Amino acid sequence: MGVILLLLAASITVAGIFLAAFIWSVKKGQYEDEDSPPVRMLFDDTIPKSNNN
Amino acid sequence: MKKEAVHQKTTCYHCGEDCGKQIIMVEQKNFCCDGCKLVYQILNKGGLCDYYELTKNPGSSRKISVRKDKFLFLEDNKIKQSLITYSSETQTHVSFYLPQMHCSSCLWLLENLHRLDEHIVTSKVNFSRKEADIVFNHNKISLRNVAELLASIGYEPYISFKDIKKDKPHFDKSKLYKLGVAGFAFINIMLMSFPEYLGIDTKEQILVNMFRYLNLLLSLPVFFYSASEFYVSAWKSIRHKYLNIDAPIVLAVIVTFGRSVYEVVTGTGGGYFDSMSGIVFFMLIGRVLQDKTYEQLSFDRDYTSYFPIAVTRLNKQEEETVTLPDIKLDDTLLIHNEELIPADGILTRGTALIDYSFVTGESLPVKKEMGEIVYAGGKQIGSNIEILVIKEVAQSYLTKLWNRDESKSTDSKKQHSFVNLIARYFTWIVFSIAAIAAIYWSFNDPSKIWNSVTAVMIIACPCALLLSNTFTNGNVLRILGRNKFYLRSATTIESIANANHIVFDKTGTLTSGSYHDIEYVGKPLPLAYKRKLAILTSHSIHPLSKALASYFGSAVHEDVIGYTEWPGHGIEGIVEGDLVSLGSRKFILDDNDVLDETAVYFSIEEQYYGKFIFRNQYRHNVLMLISQLRKSYSLSLLSGDNAGERQFLTGMFGKHASVLFHQKPNDKLEVIKQMQTNGDHVIMLGDGLNDAGALKQADVGIAVSDNSNNFTPASDAIIEADQLPKLAKFIRLCKINKRVVMLSFIISILYNIIGIYFSVQGTLSPMIAAILMPASSLSILLVTFGSSTYFARRMGLV
Amino acid sequence: MLDHSKGTGFSGVSASSETRSELKVERFYYDNNIVKMFAYATILWGVVGMLVGLLASIQLFLPSANFDFAPTTFGRVRPLHTNAVIFAFVGNGIFMGVYYSLQRLCKARMFSDVLSKIHFWGWQSIIVSAAVTLLLGYTSGKEYAELEWPIDIAITLIWVTFGINMFGTIMKRRERHLYVAIWFYIATWVTVAMLHIVNSFEIPVSFMKSYSWYAGVQDALVQWWYGHNAVAFFLTTPYLGMMYYFLPKAANRPVYSYRLSIIHFWALIFMYIWAGPHHLLYTALPDWAQSLGVVFSVMLIAPSWGGMLNGLFTLRGAWDKVREDPILKFMVVAVTCYGMATFEGPMLSLKSVNAVAHFTDWIIAHVHIGALGWNGFLTFGVLYWLIPRIFKTPLYSKKLANTHFWIGTIGIVLYAVPLYWAGFTQSMMWKSFTEEGQLKFQFLETVTNIIPMYVTRSLGGTLYLVGVLVMVYNIYKTVTAGQLEANEAAEAAPLAKVFVPHDSQHWHRWIERRPVQMLVFSLIAVAIGGMLELIPTFLIKSNVPTITSVKPYTPLELQGRDIYIGEGCYTCHSQMIRPFRDEVARYGEYSKAGEFVYDHPFQWGSKRTGPDLARIGGKYPDSWHYNHMYDPRIMSPGSIMPPYPWLLENQLDTTSTAAKIRAMQTLGVPYPEGYDKRANEDLVQQGNKIQADLKKDKIKTGNTTEIVAIIAYLQRVGTDIKGEPKVITASIP
Repeated sequence: MGVILLLLAASITVAGIFLAAFIWSVKKGQYEDEDSPPVRMLFDDTIPKSNNN
Repeated sequence: MKKEAVHQKTTCYHCGEDCGKQIIMVEQKNFCCDGCKLVYQILNKGGLCDYYELTKNPGSSRKISVRKDKFLFLEDNKIKQSLITYSSETQTHVSFYLPQMHCSSCLWLLENLHRLDEHIVTSKVNFSRKEADIVFNHNKISLRNVAELLASIGYEPYISFKDIKKDKPHFDKSKLYKLGVAGFAFINIMLMSFPEYLGIDTKEQILVNMFRYLNLLLSLPVFFYSASEFYVSAWKSIRHKYLNIDAPIVLAVIVTFGRSVYEVVTGTGGGYFDSMSGIVFFMLIGRVLQDKTYEQLSFDRDYTSYFPIAVTRLNKQEEETVTLPDIKLDDTLLIHNEELIPADGILTRGTALIDYSFVTGESLPVKKEMGEIVYAGGKQIGSNIEILVIKEVAQSYLTKLWNRDESKSTDSKKQHSFVNLIARYFTWIVFSIAAIAAIYWSFNDPSKIWNSVTAVMIIACPCALLLSNTFTNGNVLRILGRNKFYLRSATTIESIANANHIVFDKTGTLTSGSYHDIEYVGKPLPLAYKRKLAILTSHSIHPLSKALASYFGSAVHEDVIGYTEWPGHGIEGIVEGDLVSLGSRKFILDDNDVLDETAVYFSIEEQYYGKFIFRNQYRHNVLMLISQLRKSYSLSLLSGDNAGERQFLTGMFGKHASVLFHQKPNDKLEVIKQMQTNGDHVIMLGDGLNDAGALKQADVGIAVSDNSNNFTPASDAIIEADQLPKLAKFIRLCKINKRVVMLSFIISILYNIIGIYFSVQGTLSPMIAAILMPASSLSILLVTFGSSTYFARRMGLV
Repeated sequence: MLDHSKGTGFSGVSASSETRSELKVERFYYDNNIVKMFAYATILWGVVGMLVGLLASIQLFLPSANFDFAPTTFGRVRPLHTNAVIFAFVGNGIFMGVYYSLQRLCKARMFSDVLSKIHFWGWQSIIVSAAVTLLLGYTSGKEYAELEWPIDIAITLIWVTFGINMFGTIMKRRERHLYVAIWFYIATWVTVAMLHIVNSFEIPVSFMKSYSWYAGVQDALVQWWYGHNAVAFFLTTPYLGMMYYFLPKAANRPVYSYRLSIIHFWALIFMYIWAGPHHLLYTALPDWAQSLGVVFSVMLIAPSWGGMLNGLFTLRGAWDKVREDPILKFMVVAVTCYGMATFEGPMLSLKSVNAVAHFTDWIIAHVHIGALGWNGFLTFGVLYWLIPRIFKTPLYSKKLANTHFWIGTIGIVLYAVPLYWAGFTQSMMWKSFTEEGQLKFQFLETVTNIIPMYVTRSLGGTLYLVGVLVMVYNIYKTVTAGQLEANEAAEAAPLAKVFVPHDSQHWHRWIERRPVQMLVFSLIAVAIGGMLELIPTFLIKSNVPTITSVKPYTPLELQGRDIYIGEGCYTCHSQMIRPFRDEVARYGEYSKAGEFVYDHPFQWGSKRTGPDLARIGGKYPDSWHYNHMYDPRIMSPGSIMPPYPWLLENQLDTTSTAAKIRAMQTLGVPYPEGYDKRANEDLVQQGNKIQADLKKDKIKTGNTTEIVAIIAYLQRVGTDIKGEPKVITASIP
């Protein structure tokens, strides 16, 4: 089943990418404030008149 | 109060509070005060009224208006520099702490500031920290303007002395990295270990080896990076000549890793990489859960976060703003109404009426004459005063008190944790089992020694105990937090559980601080007189006058001829033709017998009429709480206030309880010490700085806060005042916590026994390990979360 | 207006770069036009895909619905249906959702309008060419990856375009935090790219014809590793992203637990990739690899349900809202279906359950819970929410939307329940024996038995489609009532630099500052992955147990096999006998890995609408096949197999033979050196034999007609092993 190595390589590569992404996002402080983002996404910053939300 | 009850409530469109009697109407919208109305008008002008659509009455009451030029000090360059995070030639970045922030409306409004003032470029809110990062064009508006703008829309920045020293509470990310790495490695190692368990056949030896070496590779970061957490704390404990739980765990991890590497390299087996990385992963999760931090409140605030950032100094009659550290001896400071006294000093001008309630617990302002010493921390009420500094801020009497006894560190507490004690026995048992196994095999089949011994070490890792502990703690912290009872750290749970003596402070803790129970004793009072008193009192800012004013109902705005206020004595003036005097017994009756009560006497046209007796208003349901606690705890009351309510309180606390009054901060601290030397484990509840010392000294110091955003003294826990009645339940939950840990630990022991059964025979296959590991971990997870949540629900805490 | 908007779009880019020093609130414009286009495409292809699906379902009980015409025959219609629904309907749905939400979450217009357009038209043309080629019978014969190599390349290019556009937008975003939805989008992009590349390794024979790089077991493993992850990362992650954006929006309340959503994402990402092999349980795939799939599939329940609950809890305390708002209704059902499907999936991956469900309509029901419920209903919810917004007008009729909801829901029930029933009963019938130990039912009986269920299923499908048509009308009226705000003005300040915290010069810091590196980095990583992948493909043969008697296909058989593939026989016929008592009794010796070493691609199939063909070789005389192909009901009355009359006329294109042989040689099939030259001689010879054999039964046909080729192939399938000394059939009672 040599092909499984291929799949392994591919999967681990991707997993690696996401690990990097994870570290990056933590480093960037993406998760320091878990309260604002879910609320903020509810508002569209459209101009006052056309602000319907 | 009856009058209040009659009229039906109309709530303020802005803050949702009862509008009382005089309702302000704008565009068919009711407002409780000009402050609220003002905010509405500003927002309306800025086309930001969605603010009111997003959530109902999103504002906070503006009854207490902000003192004009309160933010004058923001003009001062030195202060500016200390506050702003970055400044280019045209733009300034500043971050303000806005305690009033609480709902999605707040977030929306605060991120749309640029619509109120186009010179504000952007503002980003951090809800968890209740901070707003604001970028503005400082050529167009000043920092002060920004602060005032915020204040004007109801978000007054809370700027304190502390902000000078930039110590933002930023949480430790390294654990998350470690967790991520461990998780990544764990999943993939699992993936590549299974083939062997699932019977990959020998035909595919190439694959098998491939997998094994990849596992070895992946486990390196787990072993050297993710697990470092535990090495450190284990090493610490060993240096303290003390075995904490991490020690045996580290031992197990190392042995596991060592043996696994050996197996792979010698090609004798696949090793236990999956079990190892798995356990590290789970233990890290536990730690992360347990280390949950409440960013919006800080547990070790010292006086610096209570004091203003700057005060006005008189330099040869020139007023100048000066930051606290720069206050030198012999400086003359100008203290405005409602301002804090930053340093001990001698009163050089004006008569001071200083409210020490927060500092000493005395609920009445104290009068100080010129030449008297005034202590830092008090709040001046009334006219401006000048003081000559005789002790620098850091040296002041109270400051010293708050700073004392720093030695008591949290990890010294940790050492007493029963978990570590168990862990220690555990370790010894493991060693002896290993030894026995070794001896046994050395007689029968020496080849098996290494096998069995290492296996025992691996399987007997008390990680299960650690897991059960951290997970339970994590969950309990979560539940308590949901109930607005915030613990500084997980260890506090245990200290609370172990306590047997609870000490209360009175003012601000049991009572809401303000006087509302007013009893009139004297001649019957005609309505006309009531009106006169109302008018008179409405002119004074003395707390008792205020209380009376509100007691008489709405303030009628009438002039008082020759209104005079005798600080510390009373007030008088001619109201509608009659001379009305109101004040202390001495002031009215001019005699000296002092009853230990808080009362205001009054006379009309020099003729004594009667007195108003003031009683503290006790928080809702505290009596119930006390009576609950009385059953199982020895209670005490330490009040800095007068003994006016001795009977009542002794009645409440019972005969055995010690109820002490006129306690100076230091006394409180000493009393606690005394209790501890008698072998008591003390929980101290207090709110004021006067309790700070006691709170620190107590095994558990719980700060009661009317609103967790504003100042609370250093403590191990913070409880929202309105949650106080639940305290008994909280304590019970903390006790259950321990039982849950024990329960899940027993379960994990069972797993260990199974494991040991195999390992002593030297037949512990990686497969069995790999099954036992997640099995025990998961069942522990379930038991801890399940049972602790279950109990919490039964107590109605979830 | 549009140019002007473009202007701002691009000035936005330059602005955000130069304003690093000088921040000011910028006015920019969301591109609603591209959203509209993708929305329309979604609707269009949705209707088409479902129509095709309906046709296919009808063909299953009404063979005449195949119209004796190759392009409208089930074998070609069914792949068209799956492709249209997955890549055209859901695909466009994804892009619609991403283009709408990403712009708003990033507070920025899409990176480049040009790329958006290229992406849109590119994708649509891929769909069209896919539809055409599939109907013409050009297929790689790998389920959900049937498209031939030129289209595969086109897909890659367009996908990259999409990637650049997406990451570009993320780069110039005006909101620092990447909302969890964006993470799901990123995951989708990266993973799908990788899956597509790995699975599409194929060697072109001619324009529109190629052979899979891998053979037999290997091919099967790669295919289902891809197949499952396609479900995971094309039908699930992007839609989860959309759920996390549109559900809170529609309910106008923040998601129940943002932390949970973050955990949901990372857990899913690190686990999903490995569930694939559960599609191959009891096949010739090594046991450990099968069990691996099972273990990981089961573990997946946790994150999936985490996500589902998070979605549902978002509406806690707002159920009154749900009661009157059709949009929320759609979303609730969608999320519920997601929960059901993600629970059923792992259950199906359990060997014992799988033994019953696999190859039956149970699986069809399972996937349609996902497709109709999760993907379909979420898409509808989003459409109903989004169209009125970009057209600045209320929805034409809430009532109709509610009607759609109810029709659709009933449709799903009527679709799924009968199929569950059908799958279960048929499987039970397959497995039942008489006291004498004989198989109780002929295969055909098990088919005719479930035909009523097929009819009901089509009924359900029709209802669902009617619902969609109601939506089309509703949306049409809405659109005509409103006016598209092609460029929606918004304002926000660009990102200020992070001044205060963690200024350590780490590598991720480096990525952080220029997100383009992040993209490049991941691409490089993928490339390295690709390299790594190539190496093992060379030691593939080495570790598949070879069976000496297994020989390469003769040229004629090879040609016949390609017809077999082209006609999509694999959509109804498996070639994989599992080691069960009944299957061995019914079809013969169970399949061994070694038998498939020359199968590029593998033809195991995943559904047994017709009987397994792994041992069809030599079972019937050539004439039987001839007549059966002409009209199956002559040989087996009641059969639902479509007739293939054209095979009798069509002449084989022998010019391709040489190329095919050469291709096979490069893939390591041991044809003698220079055999490609002689191949056609052998082909004709074998053709003559069959021609002669048919003559005996009074059948006149050419020696190189397609029917001859396919007969040659069918007579060969599974015969090689018969030369081997019989192995004792391990049978599972």
